[in-house]
Amino acid sequence: MSAPIRSEYRVVIVGAGVIGLYTAYHLARAGFGPVLVVDRGFLSSGASGRNGGGVRQQWETRATIRLARESVLAYRRFARDFGVNPWFRQSGYLFLAENETELERLRHVHEIVAGEGLPSEILDGSRVARLVPGITPTAAVGGTYLRTDGTLYPFPVVWGLYEAVRSMGVEVLLGAEALGVRSADGRLTGVATTRGTVATRTCVNAAGGWSRDFSERAGLTVANAPTRHEILATEPLKPFLDPMVVRARDGLYFSQTMRGEIVGGISPATRQPLTSAMASSPAFLARMASALVRVLPSLASVGVLRAWSGLYDDTPDGLPVLGEDPRLRGFVHANGFGGHGMMLAPSSTARVARMILGERVDLDPAEFGPRRFDLGQPRRFTEALQLG
Amino acid sequence: MTNGRKGRRRLPILQRSIRYHRPRAPFCGIGYCTNCLVRTDQRLNVRACREGFPTEGIRSTSHAWPSPRHDLWGLLDLLFPRGIDTLRGFRRPAWAAPVYQRIVRSLAGYDTPERVAPPPVPRPPRVCSTDVLVIGSGTSGTAAVDELRTRGVDSVVVLDRDRAANDGAMPGRTTAIFLPPPIPRAAYPFRVLASEGSDRAVLVSSRRVIVATGGYDASLLFPGNDRPGVMTADGAFSFERAGLEPFRRAIAFGGGDRALEVVEKFGDRLIAVVAPGEIGPDLARAASDWAIPLYPRSLILGAGGRSRLRSIQIRARSFGPKQTLHADALVLAHRRIPHAQLFFQAGARMVWRSRIGGYLPAVDARGATSVPGLYAIGSGAGAVGPDASRESGRTAARALIEGAEPGVDLTPPASTEPFYEMQGYYRELLAEHEGFAKWIACPCEDILLRELRRASEAGYEGIEVIKRYTGLGTGLCQGRYCVPDAVLLLSIWEGRPPTEVGSITQRPPLVPTTLGQLAELEVPLSTPEASG
Ligand SMILES: Cc1cc2nc3c(=O)[nH]c(=O)nc-3n(C[C@H](O)[C@H](O)[C@H](O)COP(=O)(O)OP(=O)(O)OC[C@H]3O[C@@H](n4cnc5c(N)ncnc54)[C@H](O)[C@@H]3O)c2cc1C
Repeated sequence: MSAPIRSEYRVVIVGAGVIGLYTAYHLARAGFGPVLVVDRGFLSSGASGRNGGGVRQQWETRATIRLARESVLAYRRFARDFGVNPWFRQSGYLFLAENETELERLRHVHEIVAGEGLPSEILDGSRVARLVPGITPTAAVGGTYLRTDGTLYPFPVVWGLYEAVRSMGVEVLLGAEALGVRSADGRLTGVATTRGTVATRTCVNAAGGWSRDFSERAGLTVANAPTRHEILATEPLKPFLDPMVVRARDGLYFSQTMRGEIVGGISPATRQPLTSAMASSPAFLARMASALVRVLPSLASVGVLRAWSGLYDDTPDGLPVLGEDPRLRGFVHANGFGGHGMMLAPSSTARVARMILGERVDLDPAEFGPRRFDLGQPRRFTEALQLG
Repeated sequence: MTNGRKGRRRLPILQRSIRYHRPRAPFCGIGYCTNCLVRTDQRLNVRACREGFPTEGIRSTSHAWPSPRHDLWGLLDLLFPRGIDTLRGFRRPAWAAPVYQRIVRSLAGYDTPERVAPPPVPRPPRVCSTDVLVIGSGTSGTAAVDELRTRGVDSVVVLDRDRAANDGAMPGRTTAIFLPPPIPRAAYPFRVLASEGSDRAVLVSSRRVIVATGGYDASLLFPGNDRPGVMTADGAFSFERAGLEPFRRAIAFGGGDRALEVVEKFGDRLIAVVAPGEIGPDLARAASDWAIPLYPRSLILGAGGRSRLRSIQIRARSFGPKQTLHADALVLAHRRIPHAQLFFQAGARMVWRSRIGGYLPAVDARGATSVPGLYAIGSGAGAVGPDASRESGRTAARALIEGAEPGVDLTPPASTEPFYEMQGYYRELLAEHEGFAKWIACPCEDILLRELRRASEAGYEGIEVIKRYTGLGTGLCQGRYCVPDAVLLLSIWEGRPPTEVGSITQRPPLVPTTLGQLAELEVPLSTPEASG
C-alpha cells in the first residue's frame, strides 16, 4: 500500500469517478498542481462504472442545456483527445408521451431546447413507431426527439481520463479512503486519508453517492441524498433500436448498446433502503421486465443477462452542486449529479476547475451553488425529466 | 441407438464466435457456453444441448452467414490475426466515426426478436412457501432431503436444473437464478427466484435454504482452446447421452477423479491421459486396463487442425520434450469448479480454496454458512467423493432441524493450504509464449489473452477492473469459463495471491432469463416482504 508521494498538494480530490478524474484533468491542463486523487475503491467501482451511458441535451433550463451541449462536443472529441474510444454514438434521445397531457409537458421542454438552437423535434405516434420498431401503439401518442443526443460506454471514459491525468503528473491513489479534513479558522488545511494526512488548501468532494458522507466527515450538513438505482442488460441482439428511449412517468429508459444488449432501468417503486447499496433486487427485475415488455412486446423472448445497481447522488432540485462551500473555505463541491453525471461531467468539471483557479464562471449560484437550498424552497428545475 | 456408435451424428457446428466468427462446436454440454446457441420458433438464444440436440425444430441464429458451417464472416478471423482493438482503435479519421459505428454495430448480437413470432406468452409464475428449500438434487441434495423426510420435515421444496425432483415437489429443470440476502425477521426470510424450463418463473419463499449445486468442469487456456473438439468432461457425457458421437479418438486431460470417470466411460476411445500434475493411482490403473498411455506433469502447448481439432501438442513440464498426439477431441477433466454463485449472491463469507482453485463459502462442520439459515453441502462445501457428499447432506439436514445457529468455527482462511497446482502450470506455459497470437481468454466475447496481458501491463489491476476493461466475463456464460483462469493469470502477473485479485460480483440472473418470465413476477414480488 503506497502512501502519497508528497506531504502537500495544491488540490486533493476525493473520488476517482468521472467527476473527480475530469476535474483533475482540467486542473492539470491548466498547469495547476500538484493534484492528488484518492479513491477507496477500484477504478470505476462507483456510479461511473454502473450507469446507462446516456448523454442528452434536452433539459429545462438554459444553463443545463449549455452544459450538456458542451459535454456532447467533448465526447465527440474524446476518442481523439484521450486515445481511448468510448463509442459515443449520436443516435438521439426519444421521450415518450403516453397521452396529450404528457405531450404538452414535453412540448414545453421542446420549446426551451429548440430555443437554444438545438434540432429538437416533436414526433407523432407514427414517427415514434418508426424509431422504435415493434412499439405497442398505445405506449406513445408522440414524443420529443433530439437526434444529436446519444449514448456512450462509460468505462473507456474512466480509462481515458485515468491515463491522461496520470501522464500529466496527477497522482491517483486507489484503495485509499479520505477520512476527513483538517481546518483552521473556517479554512481547509489538509485531508486525512487511510494512507496518512496531507496538507492542502483545496479539497474537492467528488465522492458521488458518498458525497453526503464525506461532507459530514468535514462537519458540513448538506441536502444531497444517495439513492440506489438498478439497471439491467439483456443478451446481445442484432441492432434494431437506435435512440435512447425514455418515459418520464416512471423513469423507464432503455437503449441498445454497440454490442447489441438492451440496457435500461426504471425508477424504483419505493425509495430504496441504502443498506443494500450495490445489490440487485428481484422486485426491480420484475418491474423493469414488465415495463419493457409492455412497451416492446417482442422483447418477451429475450433473456436478461445481468442486473446491477449503483447510487444516484440526488439533490432536492435534481441539479448538481458545484463550487466552494462558504462554511469551509477550500472545500469544493462537485457532486449531486443524480442520474446525470456522465452527461454533465466534461463541462461542469471545467467550471469547477476554473473556480479553483480563481476564475469567474458562467454559473448562477442560485442554480448550482452549495447554499441554494438554504434560500427557501428551491425551484424544481427538471421535474419532467427525472429518470430511472 | 442399437449396437454401438456406428452412424451416430458427429458434434454439429452450430455457432460462430461473436467477434471473429471462429467455428465453434458444443463445448460445455450443460447449457452455459455460447457454442450451441440456436433459435426455435418460440425462443431466441436456446442452447441446443439443453434440448438434446434435436435434428428438427432448431435453426441457426442470424449471426453467421450463410450458415455456421460455412460462414463468410469467418474472413474476419483471417483478416485480423492479432484481433480487433475496439478500445483504442476506430478513432480516426473523426468523420468516419458514424461509419465505424454502423459497421461494428451491424456485426453485434446473435439474433433479432422479430425472427421469433409471436413472442411466447409466459405461463403464470409458480409461487410457493416452504420450510426448507433444497437447491440441487445430486448426491448430497438427495441425502439431505431423505434425512429431512425421515425426521418428519415434510415442507421441503427441491429445485434442480437437470432432473425432475425425487418426489415431484417441484418439476425438474428448474434453475435457481437469484438468491438475495435474507430479509431479517421475516417469516420466510429467503426469497429465491428460479426459472422453470424457459417460459415460467418460480418464486420460492423459504425459512432455510440448502445449496447443493455441485460443480462444473473448467476450461483450459492454450492456443486453439476454442477449436471444435475441445470439450469439458461435462460436455462429453452430455453429448454421449444425447446420442451424438462426441469424438472418435480423444485425449483426456486431468489426473484425478473426474478424469477417472472419463476413462471409465470412454476408455475404448481414449488415446492418452495427459495431466497437469501427477496422475492418481486409481486413474493410472484404469488407464492401464485400456492400455492408454499416460502423460503426467505435461503442458498442453497447442492444437492442430483448422476447423476441427486434429492433434494436440504437449510437452513434459520443466522443459521436457515436445510431442504431438493425434486425436479429434480433448476432454477437459482437470479442474472442477463449485457453483458458488448463489453463496456470493446471498452475501455469504467466501474463502479461496487453493486445493480446488476456487471460492467456496466458509462453513462450519455442519455446513452452516455465515448467512443465518443458509447451508452448503456436497462439493460446494468442499466434500470430496460421494460418501462425504452424502454425509454432508445428512449432517446439514440434522443441524437445520436442531435449529443450529450459524457456525463460529467457519473454515479457516485458505492461506494455510498449498499453492494451487494450475498456477504453476500456467506460469510455465506462459513463460514460453510471447504475444499469445490469438489465444481466446473469454470465448463468449472473443476476448484475447493478449488483451488481458495488455490491460495488466497498463497498470489495471484486479479481476473486477480487468473485467470492465476487457469485457472478459460479460458474455452469456456469465464468466463461468473465463474468470477462473483469468484469476490465476492475474495472480501470476500481479504477483499476489488469487484472493487479492478478487472475484467478480455474481450478478443475477445466474442463467439468462427471459423478460417475459420475469415480467410475470411483478405482482407476486410487489408485496411488502419483497422490498428487502
Ligand atoms: C444505474 C445508473 C444509471 C445511470 N445512468 C446515467 C446515464 O444514462 N447518463 C448519465 O449521465 N448519468 C447516469 N448515471 C449517473 C452517473 O453514473 C453519475 O452521476 C456519475 O457517474 C457520477 O460520477 P462521480 O465521479 O461523481 O461518482 P462515482 O463514479 O460514484 O465516483 C465516486 C467515487 O468516490 C469514491 N469515494 C467515496 N467516498 C470516498 C472517500 N471517503 N474516500 C475515498 N474515496 C471515496 C468512491 O469509491 C467512488 O469511486 C447513472 C447512475 C446509475 C447508478
